This record gives sequence, C-alpha cells and structure tokens, in this order.
Amino acid sequence: MTDFIKNPVVPLPDRMPDPVVAKDDLFFTEDEKKQIATWVSRYPTADGAVMRVLWLAQEKFGFLPPEAVQLVADTLDMPYAKVYGVATFYTQYFKEKKGTYVFDVCTCFSCQMCGGYDMLHYLEDKLSIHAGDTTEDGLFTVQEAECLGACGSAPMLQVTNGPYVHNLTREKIDALIDALREGNMPQFESVTLPQDENELGGNRRTDVARTTTYTTPPVSETVK
Amino acid sequence: MASKAGDWRNYERVLLPPVKDLHRLDVFENHGGYDALRQALTTEKWNPSSVTEEVKKSGLRGRGGAGFPTGLKWTFMPPANPDIPRFICCNADESEPGTFKDRQVMEYNPHRIFEGMILAGYAMTIKTAYLYVRGEYADWITHMERELEKAYAKGYVGKNIMGSDFSMDIVIHKGAGAYICGEESSLMNSLEGKRAYPRIKPPFPAQKGIWNYPTTINNVETFAHVPLILSRGADWFSSIGAPSSPGPVLYGISGHVNRPGVYEYPSGMLISDLIDHVAGGMRGGKKLKAVVPGGSSVPVLRADMIDGVAMDPDSLREAGSMLGTAGMLVMDEDTDMVSFLRRITRFYHHESCGQCTPCREGTGWLENIVTRIDEGEGNMKDLDLLIDLCSQMEGRTVCALADAAAWPVRHTITRFREEFEAKCRPSLVATHVESAAV
Ligand SMILES: Cc1cc2nc3c(=O)[nH]c(=O)nc-3n(C[C@H](O)[C@H](O)[C@H](O)COP(=O)(O)O)c2cc1C
Ligand code: SF4
Ligand code: FES
Repeated sequence: MTDFIKNPVVPLPDRMPDPVVAKDDLFFTEDEKKQIATWVSRYPTADGAVMRVLWLAQEKFGFLPPEAVQLVADTLDMPYAKVYGVATFYTQYFKEKKGTYVFDVCTCFSCQMCGGYDMLHYLEDKLSIHAGDTTEDGLFTVQEAECLGACGSAPMLQVTNGPYVHNLTREKIDALIDALREGNMPQFESVTLPQDENELGGNRRTDVARTTTYTTPPVSETVK
Repeated sequence: MASKAGDWRNYERVLLPPVKDLHRLDVFENHGGYDALRQALTTEKWNPSSVTEEVKKSGLRGRGGAGFPTGLKWTFMPPANPDIPRFICCNADESEPGTFKDRQVMEYNPHRIFEGMILAGYAMTIKTAYLYVRGEYADWITHMERELEKAYAKGYVGKNIMGSDFSMDIVIHKGAGAYICGEESSLMNSLEGKRAYPRIKPPFPAQKGIWNYPTTINNVETFAHVPLILSRGADWFSSIGAPSSPGPVLYGISGHVNRPGVYEYPSGMLISDLIDHVAGGMRGGKKLKAVVPGGSSVPVLRADMIDGVAMDPDSLREAGSMLGTAGMLVMDEDTDMVSFLRRITRFYHHESCGQCTPCREGTGWLENIVTRIDEGEGNMKDLDLLIDLCSQMEGRTVCALADAAAWPVRHTITRFREEFEAKCRPSLVATHVESAAV
C-alpha cells in the first residue's frame, strides 16, 4: 500500500435506484403482519420492533433495497430516514444484493492467529473472487468478518447469517461448497466443551446431529 | 503471587455442570432448576431487598468486562413506582474479540439465564426484561426462544410466576451485527429502534435507561450466577477463588494451545496453569510469546510478564493488564506482533460508531499507520506518533471504545517495540519512547 493518506474517493450511493422488488411483491402477508404485531406488543413503542421487521424483510427480499426499507417504515409508522438509519448501522443487514450463500469468514483476533486468512484466501482462490465480491453465477459471496464469538473453534465462518462452520480446513471448505451447490445448508453443529469430553465422554447434548470438538485443526503452512 | 483458585483440579463445575441435556427444561428441573426462584417467590426468607443483599454479600462482579459489583449496581435503581415502567436487560451481545463464553451458557444452560433474570427482576421489581443477543447468534436465538416458550408454558416466566403475585416477561431481542451494541447505552438505543450510538453518561441507565426509564444491564454470565448465590448462599460463592472477585469463571481460551475452549474454574487461576495444565499446553511444543488475558481491548502481556500472575483484577492490574471478559488469547513464538496489532486496529476502525471525532478519525489513523508499518513503509517516528495518538483518544470520548482501541496499540508497541522498529525504515533520529517499558 502506498500513499495511504490519499483516501480513495468513495462513490456516493444512488439514493433513488430503480426498484428491484416488483410493486406487487412488496407487502407483508397476513401471517407476517400478525407476527409483526406480536413483536410490536413487546416494546413500549413500535420502534423497538424495527430490527426484527428489518430481519423479516431481508429474509423475504434477500436484501434491503430502499423500497423494502420504505415498506418497513410504513408498517411500523416510522419515518423512512429513521429506518434507513437503522438498516445502514448494522453490518448484517445487506444494503445490496448478495450471493445466495454469503460466507462471513472470521479473520479477527483468534481466527487470525489460527489461519483465518488462509481460509479466506483459499475461498477467494477457489471461487476466483476477492473478499467482498460475488461469483458471476450469483451463488456465493465471500466477506471478511469480525469476531463471531467462536474463537475456541477458530478458524470459522458463518453461512448467510445462519449456521456456523467451526474448525475450518481446506477439506471442510471443499465439502461445504459442494454441499451448497446441491442446495444443502450445513446443519447446526454443537461445539463440545473440553471439560465435557473428560467428564461426560463427549458432547452433553443428545439432540443435535453434529458436534465438533475444540481441538484446533492442523494450522496451515503460512502460520508455521 | 500465587494461584488464588485453591484446589482447582478438584473443582466441580456449577455453571456448566456435567449433566447431559441440561438445556432441556425437564432435565434442568431435575437438577434443582428454578428452585432458587421458587424459594425466593414463595418463602418468607426472601423479599426483593434480601435478594439484592445476598447478591451484594456474595461479592459477585459483572462478567461483561468492567467488573462492577453486581449487587451494588442493583441498588442504584430508584424506588419502584407503579406508574413508571422499569427494565432489566441481559447483555448477550458478546462481540469482544476473543470472547465466546456467553454463547456456551446460552446453548447449554439457557434456563439458568432466565432464572437469574427473573430473580434480578424480582429484586428490582421489574415487569419486562430484554435479552439482547447479537444477530450472528441466530441459531442460539432460535434455541433459546424454544426453551423460553417451555418456561412460559410451565409458569416460570410470565404472569403470576409460580402462583405468586410477581409477573415478569422476558423478550429476546435480536441484534444485527455491531460490536458497539455491547456498550450498555448503545444497547439501549439499539433496543429502542435507533442507530446504536452510545449516550453520554451521566445520566446512568438506572436513572435514564431504555426509553428514559430506570434500567439495569448485566452480562449473561452475571445473571447466570444469581440462582446459585441464592440457593447455596453468598458465603459459598465468596469462598470460591480470588477474594476480591470471587466465584466461578468461564475462561475462554483460544489461540495457539492444544485444547482451546471454554473452561469453568474458580476465579484467580494462574495464567500459566490455564495454558499448561488446562488448555493442554502450547501447540506443537512452541514457546509462549504473548497472552491477551481478557479480550482484544486489554493490554497484551509478554511471556516474561506472566510469572505468578493470576486471573483476577488485582493481580492483572499489577502485571499491567486487565481481566476484561476472561477471554484469553495465547500466542506462540512465531507470532508477528505487528500484524496482530494491525488486525486489532482494523477491528476498532470498523466498529467505531463515528460519533466522536477522536474515535472516528483516531481509529482510522491507528489502522492506517500500523498498516503502513506492517507493509514496511513506516518510519521510526510513526511509533511515537501512534503513542501520541493514543493519548489524544483515551478518555476523550462518549464511550470506552476509543480507550479500548488505544490500549492495545499503546501496550503492544511499548512491550514489543523491537518488532515494530524492525519493520520500520531505519531512522537517524532517536525516538522518544523507551523500549519495552512495562
Ligand atoms: C465498546 C464496549 C463493548 C462492550 N461489549 C460488551 C459485550 O459484548 N457484552 C457485555 O456483556 N458487556 C459489554 N460491554 C460492557 C457493558 O457496557 C456493561 O458494562 C456490561 O454489560 C455490564 O454488565 P456486568 O456488570 O454484568 O458486567 C462493553 C463495553 C464497551 C465499552
Ligand atoms: S468512542 Fe467511538 S464508539 Fe464510542 S461513542 Fe465515540 S465514536 Fe462511538
Ligand atoms: S476471532 Fe474469530 S470467532 Fe472470535
């Protein structure tokens, strides 16, 4: 990196892009409205429910274009600017279209120490994209994430704001991508406590299909 | 200094005891679950102020990072007034890099959290409690919502709990990915449906909290300790571990050790015991280089600084660091401390909310300058510039994120200065900061 002082000029977002959600699709169903009413009832003001409703909108439309934000604002009777402010504050709300599957690869702190960047670069190479980009077929987005609270099973990643994949290795990434191409999301994976391995002979939960131990995988060559 | 954890090898876990499927309500009930709550609500011995007194007496200190005495915090709430709503909030935002203990409690002992929250609610006369969980924990939110529903169905939460006249609701609030929401006043704004900007304090949450009503915020682990303090007594709790910060602690150990993970042991464990005997020693037989004892914002310790240092606030302060969240990162001899620091500065730059100039600009400059050094284009004087920048940030902002960003920079540079100098372009002018100052 040279000349770091010259910050790159960031192009301002187009505030009135053409809508991507067709007018006819832009509504909440009766069931969804009922759900929203339940959320609203749990707070002194309707505003408290805005994060849940934004989540709902994102699950429904894939991301949050201005018209979806407007829909949330109208539903909760909030000013558009306020909802837009919330939507843009949090990293998990997608302001632009992403791939069907979004990999949030943790490269922070403990994951950095345990080869998080090797996993990120492996994914980038494998999918021929840079972190932040989406593959041409629109299937995968790769992003660098901050600590996801699974530092004991580093390196790790999260798939589309959902399941965690712990103790990453190249083989695990290969298998994950193959499975996702078939449309299979990884299942919830429970992480064993080391003390449970000693005292309970493994994981304490009998109701999960997949478990993983904390033992860190052999870390890549670059970490030495 | 010596271990304050006593006979830790024979310690029996209480927060995450070795019980299969403890997260299920029926199993939890069979192992004394909700007993403390039943005692508190239905026997003469307990009333709201005696519950608070017991927690105060136990010496429990907050487990969210700041270590504030919990019982004392509860007494800051103004006297209950039926016309003024008041809230408690459980902080499950857990985003401090290196911290992953709360998630284990949420997965393996969620009812303990609910029970602790209701007891706290009883002590402070609360009707609604919010459980603010970071959005990334989607799977754990689903898990807890399922368990919470069962607790409602059994009458442990909701109207007239266990037939008493005490009613309280628990609402799980899903965040959406912002480290700053862990800061209590930011969390309150986030709950209210605003951008999560921290607020200027005072007023403190107990005076003006969520929607400007009295509010008390505690960490997940803090609440989870409350039921056993009541059922086993404050004396039992205060006899565990280091007297100045007693009780069981969840140590989250990550990095270059053989068996990373969350371990429950008494407070005041020696750092060296945790690395060598608990977490299975250094990976690959490498030598230890550095330890960050409590999450990314606490000062890093060099290997030669941890002799006899215990994981309690006093011992760590003497050693030149802090307990933080007890999420410990262990680094071996091959670690590049410059790129380690570079990644931390990047984190804080990304997570600054942008309200205060010293933080918004400062975190960016820290990242840019450390990056420049890491890329081999830094000058010796940049090191002094960085330290100076830290002084310009510390204590000059609305919340403590700016301090949290500055501390690692200041201490990593002073404690590993040779490494930073080695990456800088050589200089003919002497720099001012002493190398390896402790
Ligand atoms: C930048 C920043 C981030 C924080 N993040 C968290 C967090 O993720 N979880 C948490 O429990 N406390 C966090 N805290 C501490 C809270 O502000 C608050 O002190 C704590 O939740 C109080 O609970 P306790 O008394 O039980 O520790 C953070 C503080 C700051 C300044
Ligand atoms: S210190 Fe930083 S994170 Fe905290 S309020 Fe100021 S700008 Fe926001
Ligand atoms: S550092 Fe990657 S999960 Fe915490």
